[in-house]
Amino acid sequence: MNASTPARGGGRSLDRLLPFLLLPVALIALGPVVRLLLEGVTGGDGFTTDHLTTVLTRPSTGTALLHSLITAGGGTLLSVLIGAAFAYLVALTDIRGKGALVFCLMVPMMIPPQITALAWMQMAGPSSTLLKLLGIAPPLGSPQPLHSPGGIILLLGIQHASLVFLTLRAGLRMIPADLVEAARMSGAGSFRVWMQTVLPLSMPSLIAGGAMAFVTALGNFGIPAMLGIPAGYATLPTLIYQRLVGMGPAVLPEVAVLALLIGAVAIIGVLFSRAVLSRRGFGLVGLSGNPLALTLGAARRPVEIGLWAFIFVILALPLLALLATSLIPAYGVPLTFANATLEAWKEVLFTQPVTRRAYGNSLMLATSAAAILLAISLPLAWLMERRSNRLSRILDALIDLPYALPGVVLSIACILTFLNLPFTDLTLYGTIWIILMAYLARFFVVMLRPIQASIAQLDPAMEEAAASVGAHLGRRLRDIVLPLAAPSAAAGAILVFLTAVNELTVSALLWSSGTETLGVVIYNLEDSGETIMASALAMSIVLLIIFLMGLVQAGANRFPKGVIPWQS
Amino acid sequence: MAELNFSNLSKKFDGVPALHEINAQIASGEFVALLGPSGCGKTTLLRLTAGFEHPSSGTIHLGGDKVAGDGHFVPPEERGVGIVFQSYALWPHKSVHANVAYPLEVRRVPRPEREARVAEALALTGLSAFANRMPSQLSGGQRQRVALARCLVFDPRAVLLDEPLANLDLALRASMHEVFSLFHRRTKATMLYVTHDQGEALALADRVAVMEAGKIRQFAAPEVLYREPVDCFVAGFVGDGAVVSAGITGQTRENRLVVNVFGQEVLSRSATTEPSHVCIRPESITLCNDAPIRARVLSCTYLGGRFRLTLDAAGETLVAFASQRAAIGETLGVKLNDLWAFRDPGAAVVMAKSLAHA
Repeated sequence: MNASTPARGGGRSLDRLLPFLLLPVALIALGPVVRLLLEGVTGGDGFTTDHLTTVLTRPSTGTALLHSLITAGGGTLLSVLIGAAFAYLVALTDIRGKGALVFCLMVPMMIPPQITALAWMQMAGPSSTLLKLLGIAPPLGSPQPLHSPGGIILLLGIQHASLVFLTLRAGLRMIPADLVEAARMSGAGSFRVWMQTVLPLSMPSLIAGGAMAFVTALGNFGIPAMLGIPAGYATLPTLIYQRLVGMGPAVLPEVAVLALLIGAVAIIGVLFSRAVLSRRGFGLVGLSGNPLALTLGAARRPVEIGLWAFIFVILALPLLALLATSLIPAYGVPLTFANATLEAWKEVLFTQPVTRRAYGNSLMLATSAAAILLAISLPLAWLMERRSNRLSRILDALIDLPYALPGVVLSIACILTFLNLPFTDLTLYGTIWIILMAYLARFFVVMLRPIQASIAQLDPAMEEAAASVGAHLGRRLRDIVLPLAAPSAAAGAILVFLTAVNELTVSALLWSSGTETLGVVIYNLEDSGETIMASALAMSIVLLIIFLMGLVQAGANRFPKGVIPWQS
Repeated sequence: MAELNFSNLSKKFDGVPALHEINAQIASGEFVALLGPSGCGKTTLLRLTAGFEHPSSGTIHLGGDKVAGDGHFVPPEERGVGIVFQSYALWPHKSVHANVAYPLEVRRVPRPEREARVAEALALTGLSAFANRMPSQLSGGQRQRVALARCLVFDPRAVLLDEPLANLDLALRASMHEVFSLFHRRTKATMLYVTHDQGEALALADRVAVMEAGKIRQFAAPEVLYREPVDCFVAGFVGDGAVVSAGITGQTRENRLVVNVFGQEVLSRSATTEPSHVCIRPESITLCNDAPIRARVLSCTYLGGRFRLTLDAAGETLVAFASQRAAIGETLGVKLNDLWAFRDPGAAVVMAKSLAHA
């Protein structure tokens, strides 16, 4: 369609439509990030580096940066250990029940970090209902062991292990089976094959997965907030939060610099991994047809037991502890059959106005974000696929940015952008709309990519056939493209909904009284000592998430490959 | 039904010419095949006719209306042209009935009339029993017929077929030939049929346009293409046989031109007095031991009822039919009659190209 003579009417008028869709998308998705960059450099008034130097040389900045690097680095190391062990065992060996194992490993990724932290806190420490139930709780007054850098590292490691797992498993599937067969023909045993053939070949995916885990851990707010703030251990995201909550929008220029600092560290991390990757890249030649299946022999049963025991410890145990806490009548009281009560559940789901409001807000935000993104993404993905031009390709490359940058960076960017709406005296700060705008920017790519994947697989002849029998563009989109892209669009919408319902990092900075989200309320309840209600609320959200994940899983075979994040 | 008219039609993709100055008239109700090797521009011509591509220059007229050219462009949905795709492009989420009914739904045809016309189209293509099936539950030949029914149901002004049999097996192709012929007889539709299979083109079409490198080399009835090719490309691409260079003698005898082939004087039909080549079809060769032209047998293939021989005569490869098996390496006498002589100055280049495609 890119050839020669312009003509009136017909398909050409579509090309003029493209900028009208691309422009608002680009503004909403990328505008805030650009605005943040400007703020960091100018400090709001003119180009100067003074302001940058002031913030960067302050001791608290250095300490928080160091803490961020320690916890994100340690967490990444742990994620790589867990994720790699699972990926190698699931992708390469003949263990059974792989599907269930993978689903369970993915659940921690979909559960909001502050709920993970809350659940683990219910599993350790002197007030743990679960430990009391078993009679092994430490004596009262002994410290909560998770309120420490070690605790943060542990939970970050578990939370992001699935990122390493998914990237590595995708990489392992690309390794030609005949390379492994050749190694075996040369006389290498299973362990030697893994050590000398598989490990070096999968190193690039391992590094890429590690980089993703590092960037995500760096931006994580829920875990360091729940575990670090009580211990006085601040990372960059929690430092930004404490400044902004303590002093209000006056400190915006300052926190903008901190946000840029996180963004810079994240980008350095990604660039570093790319540099390592480019030196270690292998051109893999051959068919990646049949999946590798090394036999574990007698070790299979112990390995299976080990993996499931691990899943039990990182998933089932904390959730059981959370459930136990949600059922006790008062904090510190041991749980018995006699005193178990659903009082807290009733309280958070039906009585308390703030939790009900939070449910309403979160569901409204998640539904609106999913619906708006769905409505924009479908025609946009179609235009980008069928009427690709330079503008759409640039947007395609940049649209990942708001999702890849730490959430706290995007939040600050959104506050800066919407504090004073350009050309008006209006402000979105303090309203629910600023959260919605931030969600739209952040989750755009979550919705766009699955739809793009399914439209790319669509034979253009399907639409040409409809055109030749007389269907205009609108009808073609409605009757042909929409039904065929619908399964992926639904999966994308559920993913956006899931991620948005869970969201804390962005809304923690953007909420105000009346616009609390679920993530914020759990954090606030725990912060003010209402642990039982926090647990009940958290548990209800976990059930909702598992239900939604199950819904996506049930439709798994109707989606194109790569749509469901936990099934690469 | 409408006539179709291409005038000085050219198309370039990113500056690379795909079609060059196409001029052709297709009469209303005519069945025309576009025949040529892959990359010759035949599918581009089809897509320009359908309105999926914009011409770089030139015009297309459909039934007297200008549909493309001179700053004017009618989009595909307003051309009333039906198309059957190589991949069939059936909508997988619609049943056979819904696929066939869609063109009428788009046109807001009232339901009773719609149902009647869909039933008629399904009956004509032998699909009445499959109306409620989904496309994924049909065989290749059945899908092809659904695509045809979907095309037929809205009485298009012209029907375009893009290599419709390429994805079917040999036996099915033969039966689909009959379906297309029947379809054409019943509907009297103007049909444009793209194929790279000369057997299909010669069997189905009223006229065949042989295309090469973005140009129409010859546009004529199948028997004319076979007996009187205009140049070496057409002679080599259509039908079996050989093209060899011919010497001019300047004489005529019995209303035939006398030309010099393999050092012998032979009679030939011709449209020119100064031919450069002769086309020797297998039917033009009689094998007899006392003929002056000697040829060595290179291969012998049994075709059922007769043998096909390839022969080496003075470095040229000829094709002949024989009633008896011949031994490879054996030398036979070759008698030539009823040849066709033509003039093709650019022959050397074209021959090399046609061999590359063979």
